[in-house]
Amino acid sequence: MAVIGIESSAHTLGIGIIENGKILANVKRMYPISDKGMIPMRVADFHVKGVKKLLLEAFATAGIGIDNIEAIGYTMGPGIGPCLSVGNITAKTLASKYRLKIYPVNHAVAHIEIAKHLNKFSDPLALYVSGGNSQILGITDEPFKHYRVYGETFDIGVGNMLDNFARAAGLKPAWGSSVAKLAIGGRYVPMPYTVKGMDFAFTGLQTKAIGMLKGNSASDVAFSLQETAFSMLCEATERALALLGKRSLLVCGGVAQSQRLKEMLRSVADSHGAKFGFAPDQYNADNGAMIALVAEKMFRSGKRSCSIEACGVRQDYRADAVEITW
Amino acid sequence: MAIRLIAKGAEAEVYRTRIFDIDAILKDRKPKAYRIRELDENIRAARTKSEAKTTYIADSIGVRVPNVLLVKRYQLYTTYIEGTRMSSLMQQGKSIGNRLMSKVGKYLGMLHNAGIAHGDFTPANILIDAKGEPWVIDFGLSSISDSIEEKAFDLLLMKRSIDCKSYAYFVESYSSKASASKAILARLSEIEKRGRYNERA
Ligand SMILES: Nc1ncnc2c1ncn2[C@@H]1O[C@H](COP(=O)(O)OP(=O)(O)OP(=O)(O)O)[C@@H](O)[C@H]1O
Ligand SMILES: Nc1ncnc2c1ncn2[C@@H]1O[C@H](COP(=O)(O)OP(=O)(O)O)[C@@H](O)[C@H]1O
Ligand SMILES: [Mg+2]
Ligand SMILES: [Mg+2]
Repeated sequence: MAVIGIESSAHTLGIGIIENGKILANVKRMYPISDKGMIPMRVADFHVKGVKKLLLEAFATAGIGIDNIEAIGYTMGPGIGPCLSVGNITAKTLASKYRLKIYPVNHAVAHIEIAKHLNKFSDPLALYVSGGNSQILGITDEPFKHYRVYGETFDIGVGNMLDNFARAAGLKPAWGSSVAKLAIGGRYVPMPYTVKGMDFAFTGLQTKAIGMLKGNSASDVAFSLQETAFSMLCEATERALALLGKRSLLVCGGVAQSQRLKEMLRSVADSHGAKFGFAPDQYNADNGAMIALVAEKMFRSGKRSCSIEACGVRQDYRADAVEITW
Repeated sequence: MAIRLIAKGAEAEVYRTRIFDIDAILKDRKPKAYRIRELDENIRAARTKSEAKTTYIADSIGVRVPNVLLVKRYQLYTTYIEGTRMSSLMQQGKSIGNRLMSKVGKYLGMLHNAGIAHGDFTPANILIDAKGEPWVIDFGLSSISDSIEEKAFDLLLMKRSIDCKSYAYFVESYSSKASASKAILARLSEIEKRGRYNERA
């Protein structure tokens, strides 16, 4: 019997099907990003219109039907309210119609768990870097088993910082990778570097980099911005690794698609004799498989399923509020 | 010259050694392979320099800190302090006395009055000597600025690492010493309310 997961926290609607840890399907539909940003209701509407077709596509890919499903997971948060609601309502509808167990899943925990699962790590230190989030986490048993946040951004996520810069520089989406392209061949120009212990901040760097677009080569600015931001993440991560003595390090979330960041983190892990891992890009970008994976873990660990009336969404649902029952 | 590695942090290697016939600590900021050379050199040089400078100022205003002996581009020699890290004592389950917490609070107040934000003010950077006196070390992330925010972060870092009772003694003594404590504490609550901290388990 399999578990299905629905992700709809932002511009991606994703559906995944998992059976005993094996990914049977991971399909998605993305709201086209424009440089004007996105209007939450429009994105939610886009998800509503696509959800039925995507569900059928997921079942076709997995080669199974709804009869083979025993539980369903959906993203409870963090994310954008109207978008989250689409996954929530779809999951509740399916759960009541087909009598499925239903599990609300934390998006950040899901990003970490899928990378952990694919790398077969048992107790890694995780750097979660996406548009809206940048955190360093690891599991601890006190006062209950959960991901403790050891370090995080004081202001914006590193992905959004790259996106804001890319927009100001007139680049085209996908922004993270277009900044990386612009950075090729760039030379270093000094920029503000803000790390406090295991925490870090990006707005100062963003403001400065955007200002420097006047009077400097855009390539030099992109290169220096990327090197500075990623070095900050590496330093904070290395401090956590040294402090906690974890034997493995993983990176996950949208910005984990960056080759340069992965190369730098591998060097950090190597110098501490720790293993380094990450997931293929389709699991770093938002996806339904990771939601199904965590729902399956919740289900198999005997966690009580949520009653349909009690299943809601939480825009600011933090990773460290989740009890890990597996 | 005998030299022995005593700590390998994220940032530097710390050795026990002798220099000018003094029992000393060498903090050596080694290159990091992950970052580009220019950035690497800038960071290592800037931190070594600011650590020397703020440690020196801290000493001159009466905060108990190691003495600066020699500064090179990436290396700093200071006097060796015989003691145990406050964080190690906490891990061993030893209680940290109220008098000691008050002293640590007072020292932070004095630093802030002198315009110094420590930048990494945690129990790992407080050494306790045999007489139970605290010493403040590791000014590598410090800054000299009038930023309220940087100072509020010092309080936040300590608050996150100690229990409520210890924090109460710490912050009471800090407040009576730091002249801008009102504004700094107000900023601390504002930072905590920014959302990232209030749900922290
Ligand atoms: N190759 C790449 N290099 C660097 N950054 C990248 C790359 N590809 C994508 N990104 C960045 O990843 C981010 C998108 O990640 P993701 O979709 O996980 O985040 P989100 O959904 O916007 O935010 P959150 O997960 O916090 O809700 C964007 O900021 C984008 O610029
Ligand atoms: N002056 C000193 N006397 C004795 N021990 C020291 C001294 N300076 C540092 N140490 C020891 O070395 C450790 C690391 O030094 P620190 O300056 O905090 O470096 P890092 O920036 O890597 O944390 C300290 O926690 C402490 O145990
Ligand atoms: Mg995401
Ligand atoms: Mg230290």
